[in-house]
Amino acid sequence: MTSASDSDDRPGSAVTMAALAVIVFLQIPVIVVVLAAFSTTSYLTIPPRGLTLAWFGKVLSDPSYLSAIRMSLILACGSTAISLVLGVAAAYALFRKALPGSEAITSVLMAPLVLPAVVIGVALLQYYSLTGLRGSLFGLLMAHVVITVPYIVRSALASLSGLDLAVEEAARVLGANGFEAFRLVTLPLILPGLVAGALFAFITSLDNVPVTIFLISANQTTLPVLIFSSVEMGIDPSVAAVSTLLIAATGIILLIAERRFGFHRFV
Amino acid sequence: MIAPRHGLMLLAPLALVLTGFFLLPVLMMLPTSFREYAPGTGIAPGVWTLENYTRIVTDDYYREVIWRTLGLGLFVTLACLLLGYPLAFLIARGPERWRVPLILLVIFPMMLNLVVRSFGWIALLSNRGLVNNLLIQLGLIATPLKLMFNLTGLMIGLTHIYLPFMVLMLVAAIRNVPRDVEAAAGTLGSSRLHVFAAVTLPLSAPGILAGSILVFVLTISALVTPRMLGGPTYKVMATLIYDEYMQLLDWPSGSALSFALTAMAIGVIWLSSRLTKRWAGMA
Amino acid sequence: MSALSFERLGKSYGEAEVVREVSLTIAEGEFVSLLGPSGCGKTTILRMVAGLVAPSRGRILIGSDDVTALPPNKRGLGLVFQSYALFPHLTVFENVAFGLRRRKVSGAELGRRVKEALARVRLDAYGERFPRQLSGGQQQRVAIARAIAPQPRVLLFDEPLSNLDAQLRDEMQIELKRLQRGLGITTLFVTHDQGEALSMSDRVCVMARGVMQQFATPEDIYHRPATGFVASFIGKPNRLQGTVATRDGQGGSLRLGTGLILQAAHIDAAVGAKVDVVIRQEAIRLRSGQPEPDALAGTVALRSFSGARVQYVVRLTEGIELIAETSSSGPDSALDPGTPVSLVIDAGSIFAMASEGAAA
Repeated sequence: MTSASDSDDRPGSAVTMAALAVIVFLQIPVIVVVLAAFSTTSYLTIPPRGLTLAWFGKVLSDPSYLSAIRMSLILACGSTAISLVLGVAAAYALFRKALPGSEAITSVLMAPLVLPAVVIGVALLQYYSLTGLRGSLFGLLMAHVVITVPYIVRSALASLSGLDLAVEEAARVLGANGFEAFRLVTLPLILPGLVAGALFAFITSLDNVPVTIFLISANQTTLPVLIFSSVEMGIDPSVAAVSTLLIAATGIILLIAERRFGFHRFV
Repeated sequence: MIAPRHGLMLLAPLALVLTGFFLLPVLMMLPTSFREYAPGTGIAPGVWTLENYTRIVTDDYYREVIWRTLGLGLFVTLACLLLGYPLAFLIARGPERWRVPLILLVIFPMMLNLVVRSFGWIALLSNRGLVNNLLIQLGLIATPLKLMFNLTGLMIGLTHIYLPFMVLMLVAAIRNVPRDVEAAAGTLGSSRLHVFAAVTLPLSAPGILAGSILVFVLTISALVTPRMLGGPTYKVMATLIYDEYMQLLDWPSGSALSFALTAMAIGVIWLSSRLTKRWAGMA
Repeated sequence: MSALSFERLGKSYGEAEVVREVSLTIAEGEFVSLLGPSGCGKTTILRMVAGLVAPSRGRILIGSDDVTALPPNKRGLGLVFQSYALFPHLTVFENVAFGLRRRKVSGAELGRRVKEALARVRLDAYGERFPRQLSGGQQQRVAIARAIAPQPRVLLFDEPLSNLDAQLRDEMQIELKRLQRGLGITTLFVTHDQGEALSMSDRVCVMARGVMQQFATPEDIYHRPATGFVASFIGKPNRLQGTVATRDGQGGSLRLGTGLILQAAHIDAAVGAKVDVVIRQEAIRLRSGQPEPDALAGTVALRSFSGARVQYVVRLTEGIELIAETSSSGPDSALDPGTPVSLVIDAGSIFAMASEGAAA
């Protein structure tokens, strides 16, 4: 903070204007989708010709949307939970340097982030077709674990690296066994970072199309895949309405995470 | 210290899941990419061929798609850099109380569903979309501009989607530039612009490279946005792979394309890590 | 409260032997320091006692129990870490209660014992605070309270005072010693600071390169160092190069510089060998004026005042420089550079050992 308060160092007004314009650019599609959801016309106008909640009613009474929402939530909750258990355990082993070659292991665990998602999708499509897992919930769940677990491992490793190893040793000497020391001391200390990682994992699962679309069965789809395919059929304001619901949910989750844990520090 | 035995127990479940549901499936695609496609039945039995790979470099249509994909990656990366730097600079160096709200406004669209964001751009860019309506109402154009199903649409959509990643990387990079070094350049007689060009920009170069690589790799791998804004005809590699698998059922060709795309992504990452190491050696 | 003993305790990491065959017994209620430079193996010994590092060889006994194979939580020890290692997410009360809860102490008994431990370190009023709201010295005392609350059989300290500023460190030394005497807990205190070790301990164990050099009372360590290493590590030594001129029993005579001959009572090398010579600054008596009969003659080259003591750099006629220390209130406390002086050195405080590199 040597000279951060020197007004002389501040970005100039041209930079500020450009930056704010970019911020607006980032929010434009969001605003448009929300406006479309409340519009009485089936195409968009500015200002909207009239306001209605009809599209929300249509979405919330449409069984295909409801079952897709349910499916998405099951997958997101399930895969985040499984990834948390598997990812935290693995990150902890890597952090304590229990095994040689931890750097190589880490890069293998991160590999699903590097590979294009569509490649993972088609690889699993072929694999599931051969093993009979295609269309099964278990297969989908495992696919989502693969794409979400790197976020958990990354955030767990980052949180653990800021930890004083002596704190856990202190717990051990005071009479805690290995698991108690982890549960009572290490886990509470890395929790904020883990929540951020879990949130990323949850959103990643909820967001996913390029893997999911290859693996779903004809009668059981997820919300983003359903929106994706309805857009191919043609635009309908109910798509905007369901999108608006997603926007609202994302915004609320983000604000709560920021309030509780200072989420922006973990991004 | 925990014993290797315990470490193995902790690591094994994830290792098994990743082996069974990631490594094995990807490796099993390898033999498929050397098989011959038989229309109707899919994979022709007993025939091995290199043709799926040679076709990628010889076939005009495939080459066009690959060049388009790489070009798109390059343009989107440049656009993200140009748009992202001022914003990142404002977040890193602007008023303290703006910082968190601005970061949240960057994170928010990033966390938002990709399909929803692409849908937003369709609502804006289609023939009857908001932009064309507005321009016609204002009398600036008579017939709708073609903003979708072409490079323009993909550029706009993908830039919007990957810009937050770039901004966050750049913020970290700019915050890492030591203020003392800038102050030193200032006391040595550099103008603000010269301090920026001679100190800030070079010192944030590793972050610029990291952000660029990330955006480039994400762009060439993208499926959803190119499909939604490019339609079924204006294709990039990911949408081509999608069609090979889902429409043509040509798995051999699709798997060869998949490996080509993977090789491009990993190649770029590998190159950049070489470059970063060389930079680190110079510093 | 029990005795703590090591039997041929050793630790190796691959080829590197960090602790070699250390055997010693700390009596019940005794305060023992492990003293040595960094890398001497003292912290490794402490961590082996705590169960945080597994010994490669030998046994550790608490009382008559062999604890060598027990995990840390089954040893019933208290450990105060260099970094304090307080639990940042728990209040001071919960930090101190942690060990008690693991021993299934609860309810009023828990509250009473936590309060008692906090009272011992004079932090009764701080139970509801979090560690980050306390000063370094207060955090240190919480760490001590946390270690003593479960009434451990043995108390271990890993350089606990090294993060405190000098004045606080002196206060804590006295407070710690008083606390240990009051509780009567067998204590092993690891430090690299000879002042801490000498002032607090009943006995001191000096370590170098994994080998125990001497295990004795502070007085013996200071006045009767057993090895050249102890002599050069304790006190403020002058370090010189020389050769052995003659041998006579334990001692003999040394040749330094251009021909100075000194009698030394402890020589660890054969005649003609190159040796490192250690002479304590405070063992050199300095006089101005007429040279005494068997004294060395020199002139003051530099004077350095440090409060209670004054140090003189004295250049001898044989081309050697020695540092001599005297009281700053004595008669010869204000000599100017150039003043002729004479130095008297007792043969018993001169140690010679084979040169570094010549032999390990």
